[in-house]
Amino acid sequence: MSDRFDESSDETLGRRLVGDLPRYAAPARLRVAIVEAATPVARRPAWLAPVLAAAATTMLLALVTLPVLPRIVPADPMQRYVRAVVSEHARTVMWGARRGEILPTALPWLTQESGIALSQVFVGDDRLQFVAAEPVYLERQRGVAIHYRDVDGHMLTYIALPAAAALTIPEPARVPIGRWRPALMRDSGYAAWVWKQKDVACFLVSDMVSADDVETFKEYFARVRATTEPVPAY
Amino acid sequence: MADLDFQRQALAHLDALYNFAMYLTKRPPDADDLVQETYLRAFRFSHRFQPGTHLRAWLFQILRNTFLTFYRVRERESPVAEDGVPEWDVPMFHHAPENDGTAMDAHTDLERALRRLPEEFRTVLLLAEVEGLPLEEVARVMACPVGTVKSRIFRAKERLRGLLRDYETK
Repeated sequence: MSDRFDESSDETLGRRLVGDLPRYAAPARLRVAIVEAATPVARRPAWLAPVLAAAATTMLLALVTLPVLPRIVPADPMQRYVRAVVSEHARTVMWGARRGEILPTALPWLTQESGIALSQVFVGDDRLQFVAAEPVYLERQRGVAIHYRDVDGHMLTYIALPAAAALTIPEPARVPIGRWRPALMRDSGYAAWVWKQKDVACFLVSDMVSADDVETFKEYFARVRATTEPVPAY
Repeated sequence: MADLDFQRQALAHLDALYNFAMYLTKRPPDADDLVQETYLRAFRFSHRFQPGTHLRAWLFQILRNTFLTFYRVRERESPVAEDGVPEWDVPMFHHAPENDGTAMDAHTDLERALRRLPEEFRTVLLLAEVEGLPLEEVARVMACPVGTVKSRIFRAKERLRGLLRDYETK
């Protein structure tokens, strides 16, 4: 057999390589594995990625710009004022008066700062305790706020603004209380009595919204209304 | 990913590629991995294949490049000699994997002798003689001039004959 190689030409060796060398066939599982690996998985629609990107961008822009966008304010001036006084009341409930002054000591200063003179003012009784008085600035107007707390712990805020001319008391909301007919307005879970005294718009805000509480709230209104006389100072 | 027609054409060469991979890696599991990786690469880069050229040679080229990239690095291949061909006693692909029981057994002296050849020599013989690729295609697969291919074939056969002669005398 040695002569087979001693004199073997390249061609002979080449033929041996083709004829004698074992050939290994690919196992069937390999073909299956390749085909499976090459089969694309269910792909997302081509339009989905840009749509998702656009939606995400829109949401991001909305989140960024939302805080600086102007708030949607009620078109009705009355609703606007009610919302403003309710916000002021809620702020006071949460964090107290910015600068609590004692009545009647601080009346001259309050008049000077708020532009509202209180010729008469309710300073509390057996049911309502005076808490603080302070000037406020609501709906681009100076005014005065007086805070009370009743025996049950309810906070009440009386606010007087020189805005009577801009407001129209809604007749359907009026509630007869003695000789007065204030309107009962609601906003953000709070209730507010709204009435006019000459050129001054007055508000009494509280969280007394249930039927029982409203009856008590009526009494509080009567006490405040009867003994408080705001007038524009200037 | 490649279209179905390209996949079908490429898979027609599966057996040839697997055979080549077996002689390169010497272990069926490695050959499986190598061939599968080769096809995945071929499908992924099918747009680079120039229609009208030899698909079979292109696949062999991918397979060999993949082998050189991964398997030889993994096996910590010894550095090659200046002419790109290692010395006789410096195997291109270490035979250590054969000891783990997964290496294929050589069936004939010819196969045993071929497996002892350095990778460059083994490849050139498998592609040119066994698979019958034209020298130009072999040169393309091995990224060397045609003259180098001829030289390697000559030297590979010389060494193969020497090995076979040794087996005969034993």
